[in-house]
Amino acid sequence: MHLFLEQFVNGWALGSLYALFGIGFGLVFSTLGILNAAHGTYASWAAIVGYYAVVWLNVPFPVAIAVGVLAGGVLAIVVDQIGFQPLRAKKAGLLGALITSIAFWIILDSLAGFATQQQSLAFPASTYPNRMVAVGPVMVPQMQIITILALIICAVGIYLLIQKTRIGAAMRAVGWNEVAAGLGGVNARVVILLTAFLAGATSGLAGVLGGIATSNVSFTLGEGLLLKGFAAVVVGGFDDVRGTAIAGICLGIIEVFVGQYVSTAMRDGVTYALLLLFLILRPRGLFGSTSFLRA
Amino acid sequence: MDALLDFWAAYGSTVVFAMINAFFALSTYAVLSTGVLSFTTVVFAAVGGFLAAQTVGHLQISIHLSFLLAAIGGGLAAAVVAVAFLKLDSHWMALASLALVLITRVVSLNAPILTGGVNGLVVPLRVDPIEVAILLAVVTFAFYRLHNSWYGLASRAVREDPAVASTMGIPPRRIQFVAFVISGVVGGIGGAALAFTLQFLSPETYFIGIAFTMIASAVLGGSFHWFGPVVGAFVFTALPVMMQAFVPQIEDVAKGVALLLIMIFMPRGLIDPRAVRLRRAARLRHKQERAVNA
Amino acid sequence: MTLLNMLAHCVRPAGLAAVIAGVAFSAAPSRAEGLAPGEYQIGFVTENTGPLAAAGVSYYHGAQLAIDEINQSAWIGKGDTLKMVEKESGSDAARAVQAVSQFIADRNVIATSCCILSPVAGAVRPVAVNAKIPLVIYGATRPGLPQLPYVTSVVGLPGPQEVKMTKTIIEKLHPKTVAYFVNADNEAFQGRFKAAQKVMEDAGVKTAGVISILGSDTDFTAPATQAMGTNPDLIMVWTTQTPAGGIIAALRNRGYKGPISANDVIAPPPMFKKIGEPLVGVPFPVLFSAELSDTPEAKAFIEAYQKRFSALPDAYAAQGYTMVYYVAQGLKSLDGKPTRESLAEAMAKITEIDHNVYGGLPMKDGQAEFAKSLIGAWSKEGKVVRWDPK
Repeated sequence: MHLFLEQFVNGWALGSLYALFGIGFGLVFSTLGILNAAHGTYASWAAIVGYYAVVWLNVPFPVAIAVGVLAGGVLAIVVDQIGFQPLRAKKAGLLGALITSIAFWIILDSLAGFATQQQSLAFPASTYPNRMVAVGPVMVPQMQIITILALIICAVGIYLLIQKTRIGAAMRAVGWNEVAAGLGGVNARVVILLTAFLAGATSGLAGVLGGIATSNVSFTLGEGLLLKGFAAVVVGGFDDVRGTAIAGICLGIIEVFVGQYVSTAMRDGVTYALLLLFLILRPRGLFGSTSFLRA
Repeated sequence: MDALLDFWAAYGSTVVFAMINAFFALSTYAVLSTGVLSFTTVVFAAVGGFLAAQTVGHLQISIHLSFLLAAIGGGLAAAVVAVAFLKLDSHWMALASLALVLITRVVSLNAPILTGGVNGLVVPLRVDPIEVAILLAVVTFAFYRLHNSWYGLASRAVREDPAVASTMGIPPRRIQFVAFVISGVVGGIGGAALAFTLQFLSPETYFIGIAFTMIASAVLGGSFHWFGPVVGAFVFTALPVMMQAFVPQIEDVAKGVALLLIMIFMPRGLIDPRAVRLRRAARLRHKQERAVNA
Repeated sequence: MTLLNMLAHCVRPAGLAAVIAGVAFSAAPSRAEGLAPGEYQIGFVTENTGPLAAAGVSYYHGAQLAIDEINQSAWIGKGDTLKMVEKESGSDAARAVQAVSQFIADRNVIATSCCILSPVAGAVRPVAVNAKIPLVIYGATRPGLPQLPYVTSVVGLPGPQEVKMTKTIIEKLHPKTVAYFVNADNEAFQGRFKAAQKVMEDAGVKTAGVISILGSDTDFTAPATQAMGTNPDLIMVWTTQTPAGGIIAALRNRGYKGPISANDVIAPPPMFKKIGEPLVGVPFPVLFSAELSDTPEAKAFIEAYQKRFSALPDAYAAQGYTMVYYVAQGLKSLDGKPTRESLAEAMAKITEIDHNVYGGLPMKDGQAEFAKSLIGAWSKEGKVVRWDPK
């Protein structure tokens, strides 16, 4: 029972990372209609920038996270403006943006390799909260608590932003139809920039937290998050933050439990099989609406 | 002549890999030309590759027969995938196909009887580059004939607008099913060609790398004409070699930048029939204007 | 900034080698016998980018150092120099095959060397054999890769070192049960794990659990909890570098106090800088260690390496270094103008690599055999010391 609870918390924290990353990835897909292969590199770069902020400038832990998150957001805007904006004007659609995102993936991954001298780095243990805290019967690392809370705060915040505010209404309108939204008085350009920033920042947060918690700050960080975050988004449904959050947590817990109680070799197989099953049997995900509005 | 031989010795293998990538790009193009973005070519390639490697290794059949088997295997796999996938909306299909690619690696890691598992699989035979070239020529010719057939016309209609196509009596799902099977056959052949060229297969051989190479090749070359993917595959395979010659330290970055620039300035790809038609029309107009003025 | 550093870092040594080569070449007197004077090129397939770049750079630096040493000391003979030409593969099989094909086409290249990953080495091998050019494998550990006379390997196969360390651990720690971490997607570590597990089970030590991870995994909290849940007396880590660091850190962070053993992936200094305290006292088998190896050749190598790259060499650097001396020894044994085939024959005949940092390095059927291995561990001060269980 003790082990069960411990693994439950482990899975929850792991899934929270997938969900955080997935929220960003899903925002770009549902609002901007881009399947962004470069999204994982935002997480890698956020972690790298956060790491150097700590090592070179000795900034405290919360500032390091803020710097990393900002870096993720800014990078997302840069990629969007260089890689996706010219294609928007030419109406190249999903396909063109996919290719430019692959190009950015290659470029940013390679540069990340240079930035870390091809090593995998880790935040020094003294620079982040690394003790264990007793929560009821189980001991939980502080970073896991922070990760779990970060997801809850971000998911609730972004959900409220999208569903209850004027900005959110504008984002949904652009996701529906950019031209129609423009006719309705929405400044599509600003909405696109805002969405890109928000998406990059959320995934950047996943990158920094993941980089700290797993002692791995390198260009490989983003790829792992990309595959699992992608699964969380699909299972949860693209246009709903709640779905992504819950699906991410569930995938994390399932992954850990399959490893613990079934077979460690089949761990990823189960995740992806579940993903495929969902796509075929319930393509709109847990909460998603019935069809893609922006086809 | 000597210079040519030297060139072949140095870059022959690059040409062979370009031809193999051309199979993958054509396989992607086959479904893309009916409006379906699918990464499943990787799956068909894995089926074809492992099938060819195992039949040659265990049943001692000839390399030609194993190519045939790979094509059939790829085609069958594609038919199964198509039945499951064609119910989905286009975006979901793209995602589902990506999921299938991820599963393929897990399966090939955990099914050592079929794939050699983590230890990989030694392929005892090697294919002659000339044979790959002939095979590619045959496949490309088939695409040329298809392009100019009723099927070609129908697939373009389905790509432009499935709803309109179906009002004209073209069944979009059936066209897309055929496209998937073609994609499977060509992907299977490509997988076998890769197996007989690398002569060593591992679970990493058929994975995300191929998925992005083939989709980039198809779109880079131009996804509106059968010749585009072939050109795209050659350009995309040659890019790293060229970048290595000019800027060896940052070759990956340079490759990404080149891809980016091509897509931004030629979003419809290098071979674009519409651009050709537009130019022709402009020339014609020009001529007429001159005739009028004179 | 870092990019520029990398550039400067990589361009400078190549330029230096060329200058040295030029000087030596112009000063070469003609000789009656021995190897014909000239510059002999080794085509080196680098893995300085991609998933294994951290190790790849070390192999590359080790090889560079050997080239310079050989040229400066006229080790092969007066007027004979080596030059290294590089092409990058990023650990991709297709790119490695293309790189080797281009080396084969370049008539100045007399030998080639490549590959950390076994599938990549497996794909390159037939290319070299068909072209009849020597290929020395510097990193891949799949048994049976050498194919005489053309394909040889200076890499220690999984087995002897693992057996030795495992036996020592049994003697010193008397564990009753062991939990193992192993890469599901890496055949070399599977081999090492199986070798260790066999020794353990033969000695009656039970397997508490085997936890498979993937090379691309990043989160090890759950696997660590799982291993601790089996209540083992010892946890053995047979995984690649990034997972190994993550696993050990996660185990210690979760409060595991028992003994852990690992493998040589935790030996490079950047690993200690990264993981720190949790690595202290974790034993690992190693063929070469900058702090433990004490033969005169090893000491000279360590000093020169430190001077050149301002870092201590790791086991990978030593392997790159050994590869070049192996080729050089083959050249040295030849008379007149060597061909690729005659060099391959000469290298296949070598039964002992003369200049090595291991205190003796026999070659058997084209495969290096490491008789002596060390058991090292990190001290609190961040130095590799001989492992000493409390």
